[in-house]
Amino acid sequence: MPVIDYREVLKGLLVQEGMRRQVIHLSQEAPLEQAIRCTIKYKVNAILITDEHQAGLGVVSKTDLMGAYYAGLPLSTPCSAVMMGPPLFCQPQDTLDFALDVMRTQKVHRLYVREDGAPRAVGVLAYPDIVGLLYRYCHRCERSLRTLAAPGKTLPDQLRLREVMTAEIYAHQEEDSLQEVMEGLAAYRFGAVLIKAATGLPAGVVSKTDLILAYKHGLPPDTRAQSIMSAPVQAGDASAPVVEALKTMIFWDVHRLFVYQDSPQNLVGVLSLSDVARFRSGTCRACLASRIIS
Amino acid sequence: MNLTARQVMETRFATLRPEMTISEAVRVFQGASREQGQKVLGMMVTDGAGTLVGLLSLYDILLLLRPKHIHIWGEMEDLEDCGLLESACQRAKRVLVGDIMTTEVITITPDTHLLLIIDIMIKKHVRRLPVLEDGKILGMVYLSGVFNQLLEKLTP
Repeated sequence: MPVIDYREVLKGLLVQEGMRRQVIHLSQEAPLEQAIRCTIKYKVNAILITDEHQAGLGVVSKTDLMGAYYAGLPLSTPCSAVMMGPPLFCQPQDTLDFALDVMRTQKVHRLYVREDGAPRAVGVLAYPDIVGLLYRYCHRCERSLRTLAAPGKTLPDQLRLREVMTAEIYAHQEEDSLQEVMEGLAAYRFGAVLIKAATGLPAGVVSKTDLILAYKHGLPPDTRAQSIMSAPVQAGDASAPVVEALKTMIFWDVHRLFVYQDSPQNLVGVLSLSDVARFRSGTCRACLASRIIS
Repeated sequence: MNLTARQVMETRFATLRPEMTISEAVRVFQGASREQGQKVLGMMVTDGAGTLVGLLSLYDILLLLRPKHIHIWGEMEDLEDCGLLESACQRAKRVLVGDIMTTEVITITPDTHLLLIIDIMIKKHVRRLPVLEDGKILGMVYLSGVFNQLLEKLTP
Protein backbone atom coordinates (compact mmCIF):
# COMPACT_ATOMS: atom_id res chain seq x y z
CA MET A 1 0.00 0.00 0.00
CA PRO A 2 1.49 3.36 -0.92
CA VAL A 3 2.27 5.78 1.85
CA ILE A 4 -0.13 8.67 2.33
CA ASP A 5 2.21 11.43 3.30
CA TYR A 6 0.77 14.74 4.41
CA ARG A 7 3.43 16.64 2.56
CA GLU A 8 3.56 14.53 -0.53
CA VAL A 9 0.40 12.68 -1.38
CA LEU A 10 1.82 10.95 -4.41
CA LYS A 11 4.76 9.44 -2.56
CA GLY A 12 5.04 5.75 -3.22
CA LEU A 13 2.52 5.69 -6.03
CA LEU A 14 3.62 4.21 -9.31
CA VAL A 15 2.59 4.94 -12.87
CA GLN A 16 0.99 1.50 -13.12
CA GLU A 17 -1.47 2.47 -10.37
CA GLY A 18 -2.72 5.53 -12.18
CA MET A 19 -2.48 4.61 -15.84
CA ARG A 20 -5.30 3.49 -18.06
CA ARG A 21 -4.60 0.14 -19.64
CA GLN A 22 -6.68 0.69 -22.73
CA VAL A 23 -4.51 2.47 -25.28
CA ILE A 24 -6.50 3.68 -28.26
CA HIS A 25 -4.26 3.57 -31.30
CA LEU A 26 -4.55 3.91 -35.06
CA SER A 27 -2.21 3.49 -37.99
CA GLN A 28 -0.76 6.59 -39.59
CA GLU A 29 -2.83 5.92 -42.71
CA ALA A 30 -6.10 6.03 -40.75
CA PRO A 31 -8.28 8.97 -41.81
CA LEU A 32 -9.04 11.84 -39.44
CA GLU A 33 -12.67 10.75 -39.52
CA GLN A 34 -11.67 7.53 -37.78
CA ALA A 35 -9.58 9.40 -35.23
CA ILE A 36 -12.58 11.58 -34.37
CA ARG A 37 -14.77 8.50 -34.04
CA CYS A 38 -12.27 6.94 -31.62
CA THR A 39 -12.03 10.06 -29.44
CA ILE A 40 -15.84 10.21 -29.16
CA LYS A 41 -16.41 6.52 -28.68
CA TYR A 42 -13.68 5.91 -26.12
CA LYS A 43 -13.79 9.36 -24.51
CA VAL A 44 -10.10 10.03 -24.95
CA ASN A 45 -8.38 13.31 -25.72
CA ALA A 46 -5.71 11.79 -27.95
CA ILE A 47 -4.98 8.80 -30.14
CA LEU A 48 -1.61 7.10 -30.33
CA ILE A 49 -0.47 6.68 -33.92
CA THR A 50 1.48 3.47 -34.40
CA ASP A 51 3.46 1.61 -37.04
CA GLU A 52 2.86 -1.96 -38.17
CA HIS A 53 4.53 -3.28 -34.99
CA GLN A 54 2.28 -1.05 -32.85
CA ALA A 55 5.24 1.09 -31.87
CA GLY A 56 4.25 4.69 -31.19
CA LEU A 57 5.06 7.18 -33.94
CA GLY A 58 3.04 10.18 -32.86
CA VAL A 59 -0.11 11.48 -31.23
CA VAL A 60 -3.25 13.02 -32.68
CA SER A 61 -5.09 15.04 -30.04
CA LYS A 62 -8.43 16.82 -30.08
CA THR A 63 -6.43 20.02 -30.51
CA ASP A 64 -4.86 18.62 -33.67
CA LEU A 65 -8.26 17.53 -34.96
CA MET A 66 -9.67 20.97 -34.24
CA GLY A 67 -6.71 22.43 -36.13
CA ALA A 68 -7.52 20.21 -39.11
CA TYR A 69 -11.12 21.50 -39.02
CA TYR A 70 -9.87 25.09 -38.88
CA ALA A 71 -7.50 24.45 -41.78
CA GLY A 72 -10.28 22.91 -43.86
CA LEU A 73 -8.59 19.54 -44.26
CA PRO A 74 -10.85 16.82 -45.64
CA LEU A 75 -11.89 14.12 -43.17
CA SER A 76 -10.13 11.58 -45.37
CA THR A 77 -6.74 13.15 -44.58
CA PRO A 78 -4.42 10.55 -43.00
CA CYS A 79 -3.55 10.98 -39.34
CA SER A 80 0.12 11.22 -40.27
CA ALA A 81 -0.60 14.68 -41.75
CA VAL A 82 -1.55 16.21 -38.41
CA MET A 83 0.07 13.99 -35.78
CA MET A 84 2.59 15.44 -33.35
CA GLY A 85 5.48 13.35 -32.35
CA PRO A 86 7.23 11.44 -31.21
CA PRO A 87 5.10 10.39 -28.22
CA LEU A 88 6.72 10.49 -24.80
CA PHE A 89 6.91 7.33 -22.76
CA CYS A 90 7.45 6.28 -19.19
CA GLN A 91 7.50 2.86 -17.58
CA PRO A 92 4.92 1.19 -15.32
CA GLN A 93 7.42 1.08 -12.45
CA ASP A 94 8.25 4.79 -12.64
CA THR A 95 6.90 6.88 -9.81
CA LEU A 96 4.01 9.23 -10.48
CA ASP A 97 6.24 12.04 -9.26
CA PHE A 98 8.73 11.26 -12.01
CA ALA A 99 5.99 11.03 -14.63
CA LEU A 100 4.49 14.33 -13.53
CA ASP A 101 7.87 16.01 -13.75
CA VAL A 102 8.28 14.77 -17.30
CA MET A 103 4.78 15.96 -18.21
CA ARG A 104 5.45 19.36 -16.72
CA THR A 105 8.92 19.89 -18.18
CA GLN A 106 7.98 18.54 -21.61
CA LYS A 107 4.65 20.40 -21.56
CA VAL A 108 2.57 17.38 -22.52
CA HIS A 109 -0.79 16.29 -21.16
CA ARG A 110 -0.14 12.56 -21.27
CA LEU A 111 2.59 9.97 -21.25
CA TYR A 112 2.31 6.59 -22.84
CA VAL A 113 3.56 3.67 -20.81
CA ARG A 114 5.67 0.81 -22.09
CA GLU A 115 7.87 -1.83 -20.59
CA ASP A 116 11.58 -1.30 -20.94
CA GLY A 117 12.65 -2.27 -24.46
CA ALA A 118 9.18 -3.17 -25.67
CA PRO A 119 7.79 -1.17 -28.60
CA ARG A 120 4.11 -1.50 -27.70
CA ALA A 121 2.37 0.86 -25.26
CA VAL A 122 0.66 -0.93 -22.38
CA GLY A 123 -1.00 2.11 -20.87
CA VAL A 124 -1.46 5.84 -20.89
CA LEU A 125 -1.24 8.33 -18.05
CA ALA A 126 -3.04 11.67 -18.31
CA TYR A 127 -3.90 14.44 -15.85
CA PRO A 128 -7.52 13.37 -15.27
CA ASP A 129 -6.30 9.91 -14.26
CA ILE A 130 -3.98 11.47 -11.70
CA VAL A 131 -6.68 13.77 -10.38
CA GLY A 132 -8.83 10.69 -9.88
CA LEU A 133 -6.05 9.09 -7.87
CA LEU A 134 -5.61 12.25 -5.83
CA TYR A 135 -9.28 12.29 -5.00
CA ARG A 136 -9.05 8.69 -3.89
CA TYR A 137 -6.00 9.16 -1.68
CA CYS A 138 -6.94 12.52 -0.25
CA HIS A 139 -10.37 11.17 0.51
CA ARG A 140 -8.76 8.43 2.63
CA CYS A 141 -6.35 10.81 4.29
CA GLU A 142 -7.11 11.43 7.95
CA ARG A 143 -6.87 15.16 7.40
CA SER A 144 -9.47 15.04 4.66
CA LEU A 145 -12.63 17.07 4.55
CA ARG A 146 -14.67 14.01 5.38
CA THR A 147 -12.76 13.33 8.60
CA LEU A 148 -12.48 16.91 9.68
CA ALA A 149 -16.16 17.45 9.12
CA ALA A 150 -16.92 15.13 12.01
CA PRO A 151 -18.79 16.70 14.98
CA GLY A 152 -16.58 19.03 16.96
CA LYS A 153 -13.98 19.34 14.22
CA THR A 154 -13.24 22.46 12.25
CA LEU A 155 -12.02 22.91 8.72
CA PRO A 156 -9.35 25.55 8.99
CA ASP A 157 -7.44 24.20 6.00
CA GLN A 158 -10.28 23.75 3.64
CA LEU A 159 -9.93 25.46 0.31
CA ARG A 160 -12.89 27.09 -1.36
CA LEU A 161 -13.52 27.43 -5.09
CA ARG A 162 -12.87 31.17 -5.04
CA GLU A 163 -9.31 30.56 -3.81
CA VAL A 164 -8.40 28.06 -6.50
CA MET A 165 -10.36 29.24 -9.52
CA THR A 166 -9.02 31.32 -12.38
CA ALA A 167 -10.88 34.60 -12.07
CA GLU A 168 -10.72 35.45 -15.74
CA ILE A 169 -13.43 33.91 -17.89
CA TYR A 170 -12.87 33.78 -21.60
CA ALA A 171 -16.19 33.85 -23.43
CA HIS A 172 -17.71 34.04 -26.87
CA GLN A 173 -21.13 35.17 -27.99
CA GLU A 174 -23.82 32.85 -29.31
CA GLU A 175 -23.57 34.65 -32.66
CA ASP A 176 -19.83 34.03 -33.02
CA SER A 177 -18.74 31.52 -35.63
CA LEU A 178 -17.08 28.22 -34.85
CA GLN A 179 -14.02 29.58 -36.62
CA GLU A 180 -13.82 32.44 -34.10
CA VAL A 181 -14.31 30.01 -31.23
CA MET A 182 -11.51 27.81 -32.56
CA GLU A 183 -9.21 30.82 -32.83
CA GLY A 184 -9.97 31.70 -29.21
CA LEU A 185 -9.42 28.18 -27.94
CA ALA A 186 -6.14 27.90 -29.81
CA ALA A 187 -4.86 31.29 -28.65
CA TYR A 188 -5.66 30.73 -24.98
CA ARG A 189 -4.99 26.97 -24.96
CA PHE A 190 -8.38 26.23 -23.43
CA GLY A 191 -10.31 23.01 -23.82
CA ALA A 192 -13.70 24.71 -23.72
CA VAL A 193 -15.16 28.19 -23.82
CA LEU A 194 -18.19 29.84 -22.26
CA ILE A 195 -20.86 31.05 -24.68
CA LYS A 196 -22.86 34.10 -23.62
CA ALA A 197 -26.29 35.12 -24.79
CA ALA A 198 -26.92 38.62 -26.16
CA THR A 199 -28.08 39.56 -22.66
CA GLY A 200 -24.61 38.77 -21.33
CA LEU A 201 -25.87 35.81 -19.33
CA PRO A 202 -24.19 32.41 -19.65
CA ALA A 203 -25.90 30.32 -22.32
CA GLY A 204 -23.70 27.27 -22.84
CA VAL A 205 -20.24 25.86 -23.40
CA VAL A 206 -18.42 24.84 -26.58
CA SER A 207 -15.66 22.29 -26.09
CA LYS A 208 -13.13 20.80 -28.45
CA THR A 209 -15.29 17.68 -28.47
CA ASP A 210 -18.24 19.73 -29.73
CA LEU A 211 -16.02 21.24 -32.42
CA ILE A 212 -14.62 18.00 -33.74
CA LEU A 213 -18.13 16.55 -33.81
CA ALA A 214 -19.16 19.57 -35.89
CA TYR A 215 -16.18 18.81 -38.17
CA LYS A 216 -17.28 15.22 -38.57
CA HIS A 217 -20.89 16.23 -39.20
CA GLY A 218 -19.76 18.51 -42.01
CA LEU A 219 -20.81 21.81 -40.42
CA PRO A 220 -19.09 24.75 -42.09
CA PRO A 221 -16.76 26.74 -39.80
CA ASP A 222 -18.97 29.82 -40.14
CA THR A 223 -21.75 28.03 -38.24
CA ARG A 224 -22.86 29.93 -35.12
CA ALA A 225 -21.53 28.73 -31.79
CA GLN A 226 -25.07 28.58 -30.44
CA SER A 227 -25.92 25.65 -32.70
CA ILE A 228 -23.40 23.26 -31.16
CA MET A 229 -23.01 24.48 -27.57
CA SER A 230 -23.85 22.30 -24.57
CA ALA A 231 -26.32 23.76 -22.10
CA PRO A 232 -26.85 24.40 -19.26
CA VAL A 233 -23.46 25.56 -17.99
CA GLN A 234 -22.13 23.36 -15.17
CA ALA A 235 -21.22 25.71 -12.33
CA GLY A 236 -20.36 25.60 -8.65
CA ASP A 237 -20.75 28.09 -5.81
CA ALA A 238 -17.59 30.10 -5.11
CA SER A 239 -17.92 29.36 -1.40
CA ALA A 240 -18.16 25.59 -1.87
CA PRO A 241 -15.22 23.34 -0.93
CA VAL A 242 -12.93 22.47 -3.81
CA VAL A 243 -13.30 18.79 -3.15
CA GLU A 244 -17.01 19.11 -3.92
CA ALA A 245 -16.16 20.76 -7.23
CA LEU A 246 -13.77 17.95 -8.02
CA LYS A 247 -16.49 15.47 -7.28
CA THR A 248 -18.86 17.35 -9.56
CA MET A 249 -16.33 17.36 -12.38
CA ILE A 250 -15.61 13.68 -12.02
CA PHE A 251 -19.30 12.91 -11.74
CA TRP A 252 -20.50 15.00 -14.66
CA ASP A 253 -17.56 14.23 -16.92
CA VAL A 254 -16.50 17.85 -17.34
CA HIS A 255 -12.95 19.14 -17.19
CA ARG A 256 -14.01 22.69 -16.42
CA LEU A 257 -16.45 23.96 -13.88
CA PHE A 258 -17.56 27.56 -13.93
CA VAL A 259 -17.78 29.30 -10.59
CA TYR A 260 -20.61 31.60 -9.57
CA GLN A 261 -21.16 34.14 -6.84
CA ASP A 262 -24.65 34.43 -5.35
CA SER A 263 -26.43 33.19 -8.47
CA PRO A 264 -25.56 30.72 -11.27
CA GLN A 265 -26.15 33.59 -13.67
CA ASN A 266 -23.28 35.52 -12.12
CA LEU A 267 -20.14 33.65 -13.19
CA VAL A 268 -16.95 34.91 -11.58
CA GLY A 269 -14.37 32.31 -12.51
CA VAL A 270 -13.55 28.91 -13.88
CA LEU A 271 -11.96 25.88 -12.32
CA SER A 272 -10.22 23.21 -14.36
CA LEU A 273 -9.07 19.76 -13.36
CA SER A 274 -5.57 21.18 -13.72
CA ASP A 275 -6.38 23.89 -11.15
CA VAL A 276 -7.63 21.23 -8.79
CA ALA A 277 -4.61 19.09 -9.44
CA ARG A 278 -2.38 22.03 -8.62
CA PHE A 279 -3.93 22.06 -5.17
CA ARG A 280 -3.94 18.29 -4.88
CA SER A 281 -7.46 17.16 -4.11
CA GLY A 282 -8.30 20.53 -2.69
CA THR A 283 -9.27 19.19 0.69
CA CYS A 284 -6.17 20.07 2.60
CA ARG A 285 -3.45 22.67 2.56
CA ALA A 286 -1.01 20.27 4.16
CA CYS A 287 -0.05 18.88 0.79
CA LEU A 288 2.70 20.74 -0.95
CA ALA A 289 1.88 22.76 -4.01
CA SER A 290 1.73 20.32 -6.85
CA ARG A 291 4.16 19.88 -9.65
CA ILE A 292 1.40 18.80 -11.98
CA ILE A 293 0.84 22.09 -13.73
CA SER A 294 3.36 24.84 -13.71
CA MET B 1 -24.68 -31.83 -45.49
CA ASN B 2 -22.34 -28.92 -44.92
CA LEU B 3 -23.71 -26.41 -42.47
CA THR B 4 -23.00 -22.92 -43.70
CA ALA B 5 -23.98 -19.35 -42.96
CA ARG B 6 -26.92 -19.73 -45.31
CA GLN B 7 -28.58 -22.17 -42.89
CA VAL B 8 -28.01 -20.19 -39.73
CA MET B 9 -28.31 -16.59 -40.85
CA GLU B 10 -31.21 -14.37 -39.90
CA THR B 11 -32.63 -12.87 -43.07
CA ARG B 12 -35.07 -10.52 -41.36
CA PHE B 13 -33.02 -7.51 -40.41
CA ALA B 14 -33.43 -3.78 -40.09
CA THR B 15 -30.53 -1.46 -40.76
CA LEU B 16 -29.39 1.89 -39.43
CA ARG B 17 -28.10 4.92 -41.30
CA PRO B 18 -24.93 6.79 -40.24
CA GLU B 19 -26.79 10.09 -40.00
CA MET B 20 -29.35 8.75 -37.51
CA THR B 21 -29.13 10.03 -33.94
CA ILE B 22 -28.47 7.53 -31.19
CA SER B 23 -32.02 7.93 -29.87
CA GLU B 24 -33.40 7.14 -33.34
CA ALA B 25 -31.14 4.10 -33.48
CA VAL B 26 -32.40 2.88 -30.11
CA ARG B 27 -35.96 3.06 -31.43
CA VAL B 28 -34.94 0.94 -34.43
CA PHE B 29 -33.31 -1.56 -32.06
CA GLN B 30 -36.55 -1.80 -30.10
CA GLY B 31 -38.63 -2.26 -33.24
CA ALA B 32 -36.29 -4.91 -34.63
CA SER B 33 -36.40 -6.81 -31.36
CA ARG B 34 -40.18 -6.87 -31.48
CA GLU B 35 -40.19 -7.93 -35.12
CA GLN B 36 -37.65 -10.72 -34.71
CA GLY B 37 -39.05 -11.93 -31.40
CA GLN B 38 -35.62 -11.72 -29.77
CA LYS B 39 -33.37 -9.05 -28.34
CA VAL B 40 -31.40 -7.44 -31.14
CA LEU B 41 -28.17 -6.13 -29.64
CA GLY B 42 -26.31 -5.15 -32.79
CA MET B 43 -27.31 -3.86 -36.21
CA MET B 44 -25.77 -3.16 -39.56
CA VAL B 45 -25.31 0.40 -40.76
CA THR B 46 -25.77 1.08 -44.46
CA ASP B 47 -25.35 4.10 -46.70
CA GLY B 48 -27.93 5.44 -49.14
CA ALA B 49 -27.04 2.75 -51.67
CA GLY B 50 -27.61 -0.02 -49.15
CA THR B 51 -23.90 -0.77 -48.85
CA LEU B 52 -22.66 -1.97 -45.49
CA VAL B 53 -20.57 0.79 -43.87
CA GLY B 54 -20.47 -0.30 -40.24
CA LEU B 55 -21.98 -2.07 -37.27
CA LEU B 56 -23.50 -0.53 -34.18
CA SER B 57 -23.97 -2.57 -31.03
CA LEU B 58 -25.61 -1.70 -27.75
CA TYR B 59 -22.10 -1.99 -26.30
CA ASP B 60 -21.07 1.00 -28.43
CA ILE B 61 -23.97 2.98 -27.00
CA LEU B 62 -23.14 1.92 -23.44
CA LEU B 63 -19.54 3.08 -23.99
CA LEU B 64 -20.92 6.47 -24.91
CA LEU B 65 -23.18 6.69 -21.86
CA ARG B 66 -20.58 5.49 -19.34
CA PRO B 67 -19.01 8.39 -17.43
CA LYS B 68 -15.29 8.60 -18.05
CA HIS B 69 -14.25 8.59 -14.40
CA ILE B 70 -16.74 6.07 -13.10
CA HIS B 71 -13.90 4.05 -11.56
CA ILE B 72 -13.61 6.71 -8.87
CA TRP B 73 -17.25 6.58 -7.93
CA GLY B 74 -16.60 3.81 -5.47
CA GLU B 75 -14.93 6.41 -3.26
CA MET B 76 -18.04 8.57 -3.12
CA GLU B 77 -20.26 7.19 -0.37
CA ASP B 78 -22.80 9.97 -0.67
CA LEU B 79 -23.18 9.48 -4.38
CA GLU B 80 -26.57 10.30 -5.82
CA ASP B 81 -27.21 10.00 -9.50
CA CYS B 82 -29.60 12.98 -9.47
CA GLY B 83 -30.20 13.44 -13.19
CA LEU B 84 -26.89 11.98 -14.30
CA LEU B 85 -28.37 9.34 -16.55
CA GLU B 86 -30.73 11.87 -18.09
CA SER B 87 -27.78 14.17 -18.70
CA ALA B 88 -25.72 11.39 -20.31
CA CYS B 89 -28.66 10.52 -22.55
CA GLN B 90 -29.11 14.19 -23.40
CA ARG B 91 -25.47 14.43 -24.44
CA ALA B 92 -25.73 11.21 -26.43
CA LYS B 93 -28.54 12.69 -28.48
CA ARG B 94 -26.06 14.98 -30.25
CA VAL B 95 -24.04 11.99 -31.33
CA LEU B 96 -24.86 10.21 -34.56
CA VAL B 97 -24.65 6.52 -35.40
CA GLY B 98 -21.77 7.29 -37.75
CA ASP B 99 -19.81 8.86 -34.88
CA ILE B 100 -19.49 5.67 -32.86
CA MET B 101 -20.17 2.76 -35.20
CA THR B 102 -17.50 0.18 -35.84
CA THR B 103 -16.30 0.41 -39.41
CA GLU B 104 -13.80 -2.45 -39.35
CA VAL B 105 -16.47 -5.07 -39.94
CA ILE B 106 -15.69 -8.73 -40.52
CA THR B 107 -18.10 -10.21 -43.03
CA ILE B 108 -18.72 -13.72 -44.29
CA THR B 109 -20.35 -15.20 -47.37
CA PRO B 110 -23.41 -17.48 -47.37
CA ASP B 111 -21.07 -20.40 -48.03
CA THR B 112 -18.86 -19.84 -45.00
CA HIS B 113 -18.82 -23.07 -42.98
CA LEU B 114 -20.34 -23.10 -39.50
CA LEU B 115 -17.08 -24.21 -37.90
CA LEU B 116 -15.25 -21.35 -39.58
CA ILE B 117 -17.92 -18.97 -38.29
CA ILE B 118 -17.35 -20.28 -34.76
CA ASP B 119 -13.63 -19.81 -35.20
CA ILE B 120 -14.06 -16.19 -36.33
CA MET B 121 -16.46 -15.42 -33.48
CA ILE B 122 -14.07 -16.83 -30.89
CA LYS B 123 -10.89 -15.33 -32.30
CA LYS B 124 -12.31 -11.90 -33.05
CA HIS B 125 -14.63 -11.67 -30.03
CA VAL B 126 -17.66 -10.89 -32.17
CA ARG B 127 -21.22 -12.07 -31.65
CA ARG B 128 -22.64 -11.25 -35.06
CA LEU B 129 -21.35 -11.47 -38.62
CA PRO B 130 -22.99 -9.84 -41.62
CA VAL B 131 -23.44 -12.17 -44.58
CA LEU B 132 -22.60 -10.58 -47.93
CA GLU B 133 -22.73 -11.86 -51.47
CA ASP B 134 -21.18 -9.65 -54.16
CA GLY B 135 -21.42 -6.72 -51.77
CA LYS B 136 -25.13 -7.25 -51.15
CA ILE B 137 -26.34 -7.90 -47.63
CA LEU B 138 -28.16 -11.20 -47.32
CA GLY B 139 -28.48 -11.52 -43.56
CA MET B 140 -26.72 -11.70 -40.25
CA VAL B 141 -25.37 -14.68 -38.35
CA TYR B 142 -25.81 -14.30 -34.60
CA LEU B 143 -23.90 -16.23 -31.97
CA SER B 144 -27.24 -17.40 -30.59
CA GLY B 145 -28.19 -18.78 -34.01
CA VAL B 146 -24.93 -20.69 -34.22
CA PHE B 147 -25.39 -22.00 -30.71
CA ASN B 148 -28.97 -23.12 -31.37
CA GLN B 149 -27.83 -24.93 -34.48
CA LEU B 150 -25.11 -26.69 -32.49
CA LEU B 151 -27.57 -27.64 -29.75
CA GLU B 152 -29.68 -29.44 -32.33
CA LYS B 153 -26.62 -31.38 -33.45
CA LEU B 154 -25.50 -32.16 -29.94
CA THR B 155 -28.81 -33.43 -28.63
CA PRO B 156 -30.07 -36.76 -29.95
